[in-house]
Amino acid sequence: MNPAIRLGRGLVYVGLAALALIFFIPLVWMVLSSFKSNTEIFTTPFSLPTSFDFSIWAQAWEIGNIGRYALNSAIVTSVSVLAILALSSAAAFAFSRYRFRGAKLLLGLLSLGLILPLQSYFIAQSTIFTNLGLTDTYWALIIPYTAMGLPLATYLLKVFLDAIPEELFEAARIDGAGDFRIFRMIAMPLLRPGLATVAVFSALSCWNEFLLALLYIQDDELKTIPTGLLAFSSRYVTDYSLLFSALSIVTIPMIIIYIAFNRQITEGLTAGSLK
Amino acid sequence: MRAHRPLAPYLFIAPALIVFGFAVLVPFVFTGAFSLTEWDGYSEAVFVGVDNYVRAFGDTVFQQSFVNVVIYILVTLVVEVLVGLVLAGIAISVTRGSLWFRVAIFTPVMLPMVVVAVLWSFIYNPDFGLVNGALRALGLEDWTRVWLGDEQTALLAICLVSGWVYAGFYMTIFYAALRQVPTEVVEAARLDGARENTIFWRVRVPIIRNSIEVAILLCVTGGFQSFDLFYVLTNGGPYHSTEIPTTYLVQSVFHTGQVGYGSAMAVVLTAVVVTIGLIATAIRRRGDSDDRPSRKSARNTTRNTARNTVAQPDPADTASVPTLEVVR
Repeated sequence: MNPAIRLGRGLVYVGLAALALIFFIPLVWMVLSSFKSNTEIFTTPFSLPTSFDFSIWAQAWEIGNIGRYALNSAIVTSVSVLAILALSSAAAFAFSRYRFRGAKLLLGLLSLGLILPLQSYFIAQSTIFTNLGLTDTYWALIIPYTAMGLPLATYLLKVFLDAIPEELFEAARIDGAGDFRIFRMIAMPLLRPGLATVAVFSALSCWNEFLLALLYIQDDELKTIPTGLLAFSSRYVTDYSLLFSALSIVTIPMIIIYIAFNRQITEGLTAGSLK
Repeated sequence: MRAHRPLAPYLFIAPALIVFGFAVLVPFVFTGAFSLTEWDGYSEAVFVGVDNYVRAFGDTVFQQSFVNVVIYILVTLVVEVLVGLVLAGIAISVTRGSLWFRVAIFTPVMLPMVVVAVLWSFIYNPDFGLVNGALRALGLEDWTRVWLGDEQTALLAICLVSGWVYAGFYMTIFYAALRQVPTEVVEAARLDGARENTIFWRVRVPIIRNSIEVAILLCVTGGFQSFDLFYVLTNGGPYHSTEIPTTYLVQSVFHTGQVGYGSAMAVVLTAVVVTIGLIATAIRRRGDSDDRPSRKSARNTTRNTARNTVAQPDPADTASVPTLEVVR
């Protein structure tokens, strides 16, 4: 290879690394600052911390109630995702495989969920939830997260099922399988890759949802990570090393999960957004 | 397939429709009904017809919130979609090492917006923040600012954070599309002596036009629905300079108890988002049928084979669905 080309290649990689670094600097700065005292943060914002003392992280975890918030997020997210998977695969199966009266209308109703923004219904939703006494319970989040996830999940799974040849289902029918059995034994196993995709983007959007969690949950013991962290940050506005620690604690597991599953996550998210 | 029992299909869809109807459709209709009343959420609601809408159109803060969100969308089209496209172009042009590059740039997409917002409120902090710190280090003391507290810069500062998060997201979409571009086409252009830069803008980008259109639509309709970043970073201030429709209507409904008025604003916002989505879908559909008249029939026959060979969803399929919600 001639030296000019080799030099050019090298420059491209230097540029690549520089760009990646620019995007990554805020996160590196966040983690480094968490190990510094408040005075160090103010006087030398760019310096490296003098020592990596993780006791401040333990302190942030304790004071910030982060374990509680993470548990709440995990409960709300896992129940919502399981509900989305179960309900949307059943609905997708019926819409894809059966012809029945009203199918078009019902599918159309569900598809409204692909167009309607959250703003079009959350005001009345909050009054309904308040009147039914649902606010300040896990249900106040699980129900809307499930409902919001269903339209896209059903649509994607239906596309998936539409591509499966009819003969598979007919054969099971001839063998005497009932409707539910066909769904469970034939459709569900074939849907597995589609379910994984749906699970990825549903889980991420439940984990990160903010607006409804802000409106429906006032009880600190029930807050999820986004609203819990916000409450924490407004209580300890000036305790920067504590806040940087809390942010790092929440961020690092996400980065690790992303690096471990980056293919599934990028595929799930791009499919989820392209609809 | 015929159902074994005639009721079976309804039993399969009932749970999904009940949950969706209860949490979305019913509240959707009620929000519309609320918008015609004057109501504080507790006492008796009074029917006022379209008064709330008349008030909304004359409300300078509400008007300002739309101006702000449109500015936000225009800037994010550049810092999210265009930057994402350029980053994807860079990632596709290198043979090795692009995975780490993509991981680094995509990471912010994974984080809750609240985490991003709190982090960036520190980065913009006038005393110890990275931005002012960097300016001081470069000897540009005069340029330092209270970025989020200054009417001139607050909105742009928020746009930049949005870009930091979503550029990686659009890069990923475009990268996936670019990988589907046949290598023969690129090789042919290269043999003709085209430079890498020209190949990207003249050969690759036109081929992934579909993905770019979807991304623009997503950026625009998603932009109208923004909330998290604005709420945490500035909550509309200073002096409404970062007020957007959702921060304003949340303020009206949940802090000043104007449920009827807030609902009317929500309906206006919904109408804007849905109209843009439907118009965009109609335009794209027409563009499609003009370009490639025989495409539909061709697509049906190749559908199954295409699905087996192409891992990513076919962008043409997604084109026909109005698609518009991204949680921000």
